[in-house]
Amino acid sequence: MSNIIPWDFSVIPEKFLLFRDAALLTLEITTLGIVTGLILGLIVALGKLSQHKITSKIASAYIFIIRGTPLLLQLFIIYYGLTSIVTIPPFPSAIIALGVHNGAYIGEIFRGAIQSIHYGQMEAARSLGMTHRKSMRRIILPQAFKRAVPPLGNQFIIALKDSSLASTIAVPELLLRGRQMGSSTFMYMEMLIIVALWYLIMTSVLSYGVHRLEQRLKVSDHD
Amino acid sequence: MTKTKEPILQINHLEKYFGELQVLKDISIDVAESEVVVVIGASGSGKSTLLRCVNFLEYAQKGSIYLDGEHIKPTHKVLNRIRQDVGMVFQHFNLFPHMSVMGNVIEGPVHVKGMPKKAARELGLQLLEKVGLEDKAEVYPEMLSGGQKQRVAIARALAMQPKVMLFDEPTSALDPELVGEVIGVMEELGKEGMTMVVVTHEMWFAKEAADRVIFMDEGIILEEGTPEKMFSSPEHARTKEFLSQILPQEL
Repeated sequence: MSNIIPWDFSVIPEKFLLFRDAALLTLEITTLGIVTGLILGLIVALGKLSQHKITSKIASAYIFIIRGTPLLLQLFIIYYGLTSIVTIPPFPSAIIALGVHNGAYIGEIFRGAIQSIHYGQMEAARSLGMTHRKSMRRIILPQAFKRAVPPLGNQFIIALKDSSLASTIAVPELLLRGRQMGSSTFMYMEMLIIVALWYLIMTSVLSYGVHRLEQRLKVSDHD
Repeated sequence: MTKTKEPILQINHLEKYFGELQVLKDISIDVAESEVVVVIGASGSGKSTLLRCVNFLEYAQKGSIYLDGEHIKPTHKVLNRIRQDVGMVFQHFNLFPHMSVMGNVIEGPVHVKGMPKKAARELGLQLLEKVGLEDKAEVYPEMLSGGQKQRVAIARALAMQPKVMLFDEPTSALDPELVGEVIGVMEELGKEGMTMVVVTHEMWFAKEAADRVIFMDEGIILEEGTPEKMFSSPEHARTKEFLSQILPQEL
């Protein structure tokens, strides 16, 4: 009973900005992870939809492995597991893990969006004499991206929160900062609440941004 | 109305199966330059499949297609070139919803043929005038009626300056009051000398604009002839039956 310290939430405003750099780091990991994920996702989606059997199999295997194992494990494999071949510092490790992980999910989002475009669009493009590749680029993908925006927004929010796993490999992002501040001040709850507030602010801004984008892209899709 | 020139489109002994089901049975049609051929028949008779085999949206298992004397070998390279010469108009328009009307029309010229944008827009405007939609150039397809969409689709196909135009039930998805404007554009095209193969149920288009009417039944060409002959004195019982079901009284 002796070492129980009562909560003192009045410290939250004054300590709040001490987390700014950590929050920026969270944002960096997330952004770079998402960008990597988007690139990988597009490759995976096109790979999985490819007529080429082996390409399609490789894409499926990638999705199978990544979706079937925890992100934390993937992070450890990249940071600890690969050390006998290559040593990757914590920050890039976190980005790679988040990117590879999101690549699988975003790949499935893109694939679904591409397949949701009516086959008549591809036929119309091909009957103008477009190559398959150009039809994809000019006709199918622009429409598919629009449809992918809502599920992508969801995925981005998940990625933002998942970036907290980087705290386990000593990347000084929000969650690690919260734990450090907690242990140095013995005000765990107060510091963790600050962390929670930062996440809420960032996820709110993100979902508002996605919502706005959705509104702007709203183009009817009836054929 | 028979033409003596070398046919611009030759369909030779086409056979097409979907699995076990044979939908085209040894179909051969020669289409002369500037000829308007209308293909009629009950649904499931194979007429849409026939059109789709001509520009290789479907692959026939047997037979050959000649366009302007060239035997079309279905390699990617050849097909991408040949399809530029074969305009296709679909039942459901298939306009590109993320592009304006003008964007739809110039997409082929600019991004397939490499025509400069300015020249393509001029061409586009001419074609939109032709189909009566020059004031809709900057509008998006979602704002258009079905008849307007189909007229844009026709302009889009014409923008490639094709040798042959294929129409796959171009008015079947339209409200009845919108059929006329599309048929009107098609009649005009026929008069200007465009070579056309039209799958349709609009018998008055066949009557007004066709040089030849082909009746397909269960994957074969059962009967063909001038519209006068086909509508007034069809030979086969199946043709008579089909026409009596589909023809309005006044024809």
